[in-house]
Amino acid sequence: MSLSDSFAAFGIGFRNLFRPKVTAPLPWKERRPRAERYRATFALVHDAHGDEACIGCKMCEKICPSQIIVVTGGPKAESPNTGKKRGWCADFTLDLNACIACELCVQVCPADAIVMLRVQEQPGFDRNELLLTMEKLYANEKLAEASWADGSKLIAMQEPGGATAAGGAGEGGA
Amino acid sequence: MAVSAAPAVSSSLATRWTEVGGVRVPVELVTPGWPDPHMDLSTYDPEADLMALNMGPQHPSTHGVLRVKVWLDGETVVKAIPYVGYLHRGVEKLCEKLTYVQITPIVDKNDYVSPMMNELAVNMAFEAALGVEPPPRAQVLRTILAEIQRIASHLISVGTWGLDMGGAIGGGATVFLYCMRERELILDLFEELTGGRFHYNTHTVGGNRHDLPAGWDRKAIEVLDRIVARSEEYERFLVDNPICHQRARGIAVIDPLLAMECGASGPILRGSGVDFDLRRDAPYAAYDQVELRVPVRTEGDALARALVRIDELRESARVAKLLLQGVPEGPICALKPVKLPGAVKLQEGEQVYVGIESPRGELGTWLLANTDRKLGPHPYRLKIRPPSLHALSLLPYLCPGHTLSDVVVIIGSLDPILGEVDR
Repeated sequence: MSLSDSFAAFGIGFRNLFRPKVTAPLPWKERRPRAERYRATFALVHDAHGDEACIGCKMCEKICPSQIIVVTGGPKAESPNTGKKRGWCADFTLDLNACIACELCVQVCPADAIVMLRVQEQPGFDRNELLLTMEKLYANEKLAEASWADGSKLIAMQEPGGATAAGGAGEGGA
Repeated sequence: MAVSAAPAVSSSLATRWTEVGGVRVPVELVTPGWPDPHMDLSTYDPEADLMALNMGPQHPSTHGVLRVKVWLDGETVVKAIPYVGYLHRGVEKLCEKLTYVQITPIVDKNDYVSPMMNELAVNMAFEAALGVEPPPRAQVLRTILAEIQRIASHLISVGTWGLDMGGAIGGGATVFLYCMRERELILDLFEELTGGRFHYNTHTVGGNRHDLPAGWDRKAIEVLDRIVARSEEYERFLVDNPICHQRARGIAVIDPLLAMECGASGPILRGSGVDFDLRRDAPYAAYDQVELRVPVRTEGDALARALVRIDELRESARVAKLLLQGVPEGPICALKPVKLPGAVKLQEGEQVYVGIESPRGELGTWLLANTDRKLGPHPYRLKIRPPSLHALSLLPYLCPGHTLSDVVVIIGSLDPILGEVDR
């Protein structure tokens, strides 16, 4: 170890002082884009006529492996938009604390009412914020972009006789 | 277990072979006696002043919540007993309350480094009991997913083992971070296919739930090429690193007979020179369509097991690429899509065992079917045979005679996943 070595080392440090940065700071504001099928928190949607799509059939409640969905069905009534008689959902709660994001409730929904969202994370300061009530679920519809999957698309994709479903499905190139 | 011809990828050591019980094993590894795991410590040298030490359950290098009680003479281990059960969640009991379609997302959490394998194992058991054969497209899809998942799992295994052996000082942190970087590419692939980054729920009884999105196969081949190119680097990090050599070469040499006695399988067995792989010897899914070269090494030590994993990783990438080039057209599920919890019905008393080759060895599922009016069709008993539990049973035999710091290397080389051990 001579004096020239020390100066060489100082030289390296000095050069690195003015080198452009190779690391990027952690992005705080923007979020990375998620895949089309990415699934996280839930939303209830309105159908094409503007009615609440959920008919209160309790299929999601039955299939949920964690038993976190509670649906209360309402009486049958005529829709104000179409005039047809149909079932309504009186109350819907989903406890996101115990959700394992298995997508089974989305698959079994006959009305395509429940969908999952492509938001990355939704933390809360209180456990009650993770308890999704009906109001929160309908508010989520406008909050973020929905995931690709809904009940009929998932069913169409898995149908033994059927061709591959539209929207993100289908045989790729190469 | 079939006796096969010379192993496809053999190590450079010239090895003489012997045959025990129909299995070809290297002569060098067969030792006359094994250490006694139930050693009576009162007969040990009274001058020695033994010290009992609990490693874990919160020790960072026991890969989870494994507790190993070691008795030390100075720094040398005299006796070591692993205690498991700190991560018991009662998955098997829970499965007895759920119907068949609800079990898949639950068993995802068993082996939390390769969830795809857990799904595949239980669903293959249900299909075998039901007598359903998934369509060819689903078979190929499952094989591709399993192989890509195997790569991700081995990346974690090799990376964390590097961390165990030296951390930042020995260059282990470099391997770890590089492996994690590559694994992220695979998670992105799975996110695009299934929507979940880690707990996929993509297998179902009779096939798969998600079809390939457009362009996925091209992306997958790109990722696999990149990982194979970089895997040379990991091997260089391990093999060309003198610290790694000093710490892992000749440590915990496993007698193949002992390994078979304890029920170990997977890379542990193949690192000890036993040429056994369920993918080749009892092909399931689409493994009969590809010719699998099974890497076998004859050193039997900790380094050999890591190198077997790296070789396997390359082989998996080769097989996955081969299958990705010719995915057959057609449906992805043989049964009607699930719309009810009781969609899959099995005969009461139906019994089946199915074993698949997970990254850690033979992952078995034993199922006894049941049905009742209230719960619907559900398993009376679903027993999961985790490869990691059997690997851990080797620990009392391996540790005596080594130093305490070697215990960390030994646990890392066995690659146990405690979520799977305790279930």
